[in-house]
Amino acid sequence: MDTTLTFVDFAALSPLLILLTGALIVLLFESFSEVLSKKCSFYITLATLIAALHAAFYAPVSVNPLLTPWMRFDALAHVFSVFFLAIGLASTLLAAAFFKRFEEAFELTAGEYYFLLLSALFGLILIGSAADFLTIFLGLETLSLALYVLCGYVKKWKISHESAIKYFLMGAVAAAFLLYGFALIYGALGTTRLDLLLEGYQSLTYGSSRALFFGGIALVTLGLAFKAAIVPFHTWAPDVYDGAPTPVTAFMAVGTKAGAFAAFVIIFLVSLPEFDLFWNEAMAFLAILTLIYANYVAMRQVQLRRFFAYSGISHAGFLLIPLAVGTAEAIPALLFYLVVYAFATFGCFAVLAFLDNRAEGVLLSDLRGLFRRSPLYAGVLSFCLLTLAGIPPSVGFFAKFYLFKLAFQAEYYTLVVVALLTTILAAYYYLRIMAIMFSEAPEEEVEVMLTPTWPAAVVGLFSCAAIVVLSVYPTPLVEMLAEMVGI
Amino acid sequence: MLNMSNLMLLFVLPFVASFVTFMIPNKLRKPLKVLATVFSLLPLCILLYGQSSWIGSSVQYAWLPTLSIEFYLRVDALSLLFLYLVSVVIPMSILAVRSEDLKTPSVFYGLVLFLQGLLIGFFTTRDLAFFTFFWEAMLLPLYFIINIWGGPKRQTASLKFLIYMIAGSALMVVAVLSLYFESGSMGSAPTFNLDALDQFSNAIPHAPWLCGIFLLAFAVKTPLFPFHAWLPDAYCQAPTSGTILLSGILSKAGIYGILRIGMELFPTLMLEWSPWLLGFAIAGVFYGGLAAWVQKDFKRLIAYSSFSHVNFILVGLFVMDQTAHAGGILQALNHGITITALFLVAGWLEQRIASTAIGPLSGLAKYFPQLCWLTLFFVLSSVALPGTNNFIGELLIFFGLFGHNPWITALLGLSIILSVMYMLRWMQKMYFNAPSAPQTSWEDIKAKQLLIALPLVALVLWLGIYPTTVLNEIKPAVEKIVAVTKLEQL
Repeated sequence: MDTTLTFVDFAALSPLLILLTGALIVLLFESFSEVLSKKCSFYITLATLIAALHAAFYAPVSVNPLLTPWMRFDALAHVFSVFFLAIGLASTLLAAAFFKRFEEAFELTAGEYYFLLLSALFGLILIGSAADFLTIFLGLETLSLALYVLCGYVKKWKISHESAIKYFLMGAVAAAFLLYGFALIYGALGTTRLDLLLEGYQSLTYGSSRALFFGGIALVTLGLAFKAAIVPFHTWAPDVYDGAPTPVTAFMAVGTKAGAFAAFVIIFLVSLPEFDLFWNEAMAFLAILTLIYANYVAMRQVQLRRFFAYSGISHAGFLLIPLAVGTAEAIPALLFYLVVYAFATFGCFAVLAFLDNRAEGVLLSDLRGLFRRSPLYAGVLSFCLLTLAGIPPSVGFFAKFYLFKLAFQAEYYTLVVVALLTTILAAYYYLRIMAIMFSEAPEEEVEVMLTPTWPAAVVGLFSCAAIVVLSVYPTPLVEMLAEMVGI
Repeated sequence: MLNMSNLMLLFVLPFVASFVTFMIPNKLRKPLKVLATVFSLLPLCILLYGQSSWIGSSVQYAWLPTLSIEFYLRVDALSLLFLYLVSVVIPMSILAVRSEDLKTPSVFYGLVLFLQGLLIGFFTTRDLAFFTFFWEAMLLPLYFIINIWGGPKRQTASLKFLIYMIAGSALMVVAVLSLYFESGSMGSAPTFNLDALDQFSNAIPHAPWLCGIFLLAFAVKTPLFPFHAWLPDAYCQAPTSGTILLSGILSKAGIYGILRIGMELFPTLMLEWSPWLLGFAIAGVFYGGLAAWVQKDFKRLIAYSSFSHVNFILVGLFVMDQTAHAGGILQALNHGITITALFLVAGWLEQRIASTAIGPLSGLAKYFPQLCWLTLFFVLSSVALPGTNNFIGELLIFFGLFGHNPWITALLGLSIILSVMYMLRWMQKMYFNAPSAPQTSWEDIKAKQLLIALPLVALVLWLGIYPTTVLNEIKPAVEKIVAVTKLEQL
């Protein structure tokens, strides 16, 4: 076995390496010259991400036995890397808009922020290309540690302190569960390698080791369900989303969710497909619970970051549907839904970035008369909300339709019916926001000004354009994702 | 002569037009309206240009092979009639607005044209997944039209409208998927293709459930009694053109759905359930009529009269009889034309007296003689005076019903008297009683408005005096429905 690292191996790892280098450069600038850092860190981050994205597109496959036990270089890992880097790019742009507004007022330093963001992305990519439980854990912790700090990034906001502490404590407990689960599975199978899981499970004969294995699976599921904010492990999400600065909320709503579901996909759909029907049924049950609860509570939110926490939880409910289905065919459906969800959520947050002017974030009442003030932003926001609600002609409809079709095929009829009925609630609360935008502007001049910041505009318009294109012609993306898993 | 690209053109053109309209700055009000009107008339021109060669033309592409969804449009006799209706009513709804009253006109025109595209898709698609897609998608433009340009209570009215609609059709996806997989279990590859699904129409398992789900969705949108709770608010709060779209086209989407899905896929069940459905529809005719009678607001009055007439159409469809079906389909067209005209003239009246109340003002015939005569003409058409379009349609329905149950026919005959009573009562109070004091701002309609109404007058008279051409068009559609039904009865 030749374990010398060659150029191909480095090229295969290049997205990670570029991210790491970029992050360190940002940190160095921050340490040595605050003035320079203020000016450059955003551009360095942007350049890093674009370079990493480019590298991720063209990354070759490494077969080096030093790397392959830990990392996968298959099509799925590839897609995840590109997807996460795109999320990173959008988050960076939103963060720039945020800093333009708040940097002076709250003495924020952009450099550390971008460093943490890049670290979080590093973690995400590790999860997406993990071939071993330990890599997954490493990825999740890198992601989480960066996020704990990011949640409390604006030290002068009281609301953020609660958010950061809560997230840290709950996150630490979840990480412990996850790690313990990994340990139990290791105890049962004697390996942490994902590609040996199914084989190992099928050769388990003793009752005791089966119990150990299932205990481990239960704990892993619990830990990931926590990260993905699935009811009943969601309690942290509303407070954390609420207290975090808006761009961090956007990153959590999309990035963390995508990361947790990436871990779900890699462990349960790729490595342990349909290993035990009970697990799938449990997922279906959790999906029903999540959909009903989150959609019900979301109806009563008035603060938009909090609202997006619940809306995100309800979408986690939809993303559980392909997990319940549990076949390889479910992977493209899940990814397609994630991509649509990511575009729509970033589109919403891009518009919120224009209205965001205080610690409490954007309230529903701030949206009053948005259509009169700016038809364009109102249009973008409406379109993204409609996509989230899954109302045609937006692509959200087909994303949901795809999931329902799989669930129907797998004979989860109750799940489909419940999910469809909750879309009525979802339609209600998304449309309520739209109704507020289209209502008359309040009499007194609204303080919230729509100052144009180009980074947020780029995110908003790009997301919107992407949704339009996907609505008209989703075929290439769906085909590409389906081809990836070989169906 | 006609190839598939013409149908594609018909479908794509409104979307392109909508996009262009969205892009034009709002300041150019007048040119914008002219442009939007021209755009909205294009489908009619294409339809007329194609003439007889439309039937059978189709477009078929694999759209999402992974989900086996096809982009499949095909025109048959039934589709063609509704396409004509769409291409007449949409321009009317654009002409019904006064561009100077309109905030952000480009968005308004863009939405109406977008709706036109969706409707053309809806009335021609032969793929069940796309059918659902268009079915839901057509709600959105209307939601925005009510919400942005509606009356004082537009927020609640539009939300209620949309939530009712979504709730009504929420489970339609289940029915669609279930049909898909059941078609797969019957030997062939699973498909959303309606042509293929038609083959299984007598062997669908769980058919009562599926048919029930579809009928619920159609009943809410049409609306069939008692699923009409959204109707009064939505009709009254919507701007005139929104009301025209709701009553003229949206209700026809429900009727088309009953014909297309109900009659094609579930003929046995429709036959079996017809007494019940007939009961609801007849109840709706009378409920709508009586409710219209007690209204103190003429927009609400017309809304309820529309509800009553739509249920009358449904009576025609639910009587499993060839003549009644022909009458029902013809009446769907007639109702589309008449109700568009009624809301148009009612909208002009509302603009002039800035109110929709019946009572405070009377004798308006003195001040608006031309508007009065125009309104009277359409009112008479609505109450099915012989020589107008509705007479033929209602007669055919009565004729068909009589063969099955003369008593119910006699009962239903009373509804005609009811409609005469409430409609003429409105005319009497509004236009003919002792004149109230005039206001300086009042002025009668001008040549421009008369010109807008002229095509509708012509259609009313044409369909009333010489309906043979249209009935010949309807014939193949009707024969198809009843052929299927007859087959089931054997």
